[in-house]
Amino acid sequence: MIPLRFFNETEKEKMLKQLKQQFGIRELPFELARLGKERIVVFSGNISGREILNLDEIAHIEGIGLYFAKEQADGIRLSIEGSQLLKSQITKNIFELDEKQSEQWMMGQEISVKTDKKGFFVMKFKNDFLGTGKISENRITNFVPKQRRLKNKEN
Amino acid sequence: MTKRNYEPKPLFLERMKSLLGKDFQNYLDMLKKEPPRSFRCNTLKISVENLKKRLEEKGWKIKQPFKAFSEVMILASELQPGELGRALEHLLGYYYIQEIASMLPVLTLLPEEDERVLDLCASPGSKTTQIAARMNNKGLLIANEVKFGRIKILSANTERCGVANSVITKRDGIALCKRFKEENFLFDKILLDAPCSGEGTFRSAPKGLEMWNIKTIENLSKLQKALVASAIEILKPGGELVYSTCTHAPEENEEVIDFALKSFDVQIEKINLPIECREGITEWNGKSYSPDVKKSCRIYPQDNDTEGFFIAKLKKIGDRK
Repeated sequence: MIPLRFFNETEKEKMLKQLKQQFGIRELPFELARLGKERIVVFSGNISGREILNLDEIAHIEGIGLYFAKEQADGIRLSIEGSQLLKSQITKNIFELDEKQSEQWMMGQEISVKTDKKGFFVMKFKNDFLGTGKISENRITNFVPKQRRLKNKEN
Repeated sequence: MTKRNYEPKPLFLERMKSLLGKDFQNYLDMLKKEPPRSFRCNTLKISVENLKKRLEEKGWKIKQPFKAFSEVMILASELQPGELGRALEHLLGYYYIQEIASMLPVLTLLPEEDERVLDLCASPGSKTTQIAARMNNKGLLIANEVKFGRIKILSANTERCGVANSVITKRDGIALCKRFKEENFLFDKILLDAPCSGEGTFRSAPKGLEMWNIKTIENLSKLQKALVASAIEILKPGGELVYSTCTHAPEENEEVIDFALKSFDVQIEKINLPIECREGITEWNGKSYSPDVKKSCRIYPQDNDTEGFFIAKLKKIGDRK
């Protein structure tokens, strides 16, 4: 059985509060569900939670919706798609990468920075939102999944 | 550059000659050429105008062959091998690399927002992501794939493309339809892009010429009939099913549609696509098919400079005849 549980209003409000604090998010205009322990997915399909459980019995659900974020002890880490979905609302904790840094970021490399910032920051290059990194001790920890990384520098 | 000097089997050549007549040589000539590099703008993430502008700023020359489907793009400039797939825009899900003929089944199905849609044989997800984009991430899209390894590819592609209205399931297609039928879980539209012998992909995958064999075609035809029968059972009355393959073999195409027309209360619909389609054939190897099968669409590589495909659209009137 798929370890999926839809957020109730209270949980969604709690998530929104956390996202507002971290990134300035004002609304979450979609359904959220917890998949497993940490992964949070967005689901926009017009089917109820009860019907999904029924569907799982019929069809062995392997995946649902879109991986949106990971909830960790020290905050919420938006996925690349999560940062893209909320890009018009993100006003806080944005780290603007330069061209060289954006390439390093998309190649999955850690980025050295001189900053007093700390915690989860949304990575941005020009108009592209590139997921979330964690700034600590003058470096940004990279979470770009292997299959999404640039294999070499763009021309 | 793809190695192209594979020797086609004599029986394959004989069958294609039978299908194409005078046009056979044009077909063979086209097999020697690489197909154009095409891709589809993922409108879930970026507008067609913005993607085109961005890619042109990189120095890429972009053509949009269909006015009504501006998301379909052809790369008209030379790139390094693999560059299209390595580009940042691809990794961020702004476009999906997809052969033009492979985009046509969804342009035939034309799924709409708020519909309940099933993509029965979904991996690797080119058509699933195309369906989701046309549905604007609304409605419900169930994407099924029987093989575990291929589920991972499907999931990776739906994620990269920002698909949020989908449920990915892993079941044998026939068994899945049976369970849906038992639960009266019915669909407005179904895409059955059936497993096939892949004769239409010999331009991009010429190695298939050496692997071709008639027994595979005969076996696949049986599976395809079982799949189409199962899928029709879970269509809502008035619902539509698009059946497609990337092969030319009539046993896997017209014969399957003929079987559906004779076994179920369905009608075949005329297809309007912005490319040259040849009508389905009504006789093959001593077998006669329903004249309605002519409404199917045969796409040959030499007609549109694409890969080869077969597409038919069925509308459900009632239940089994």
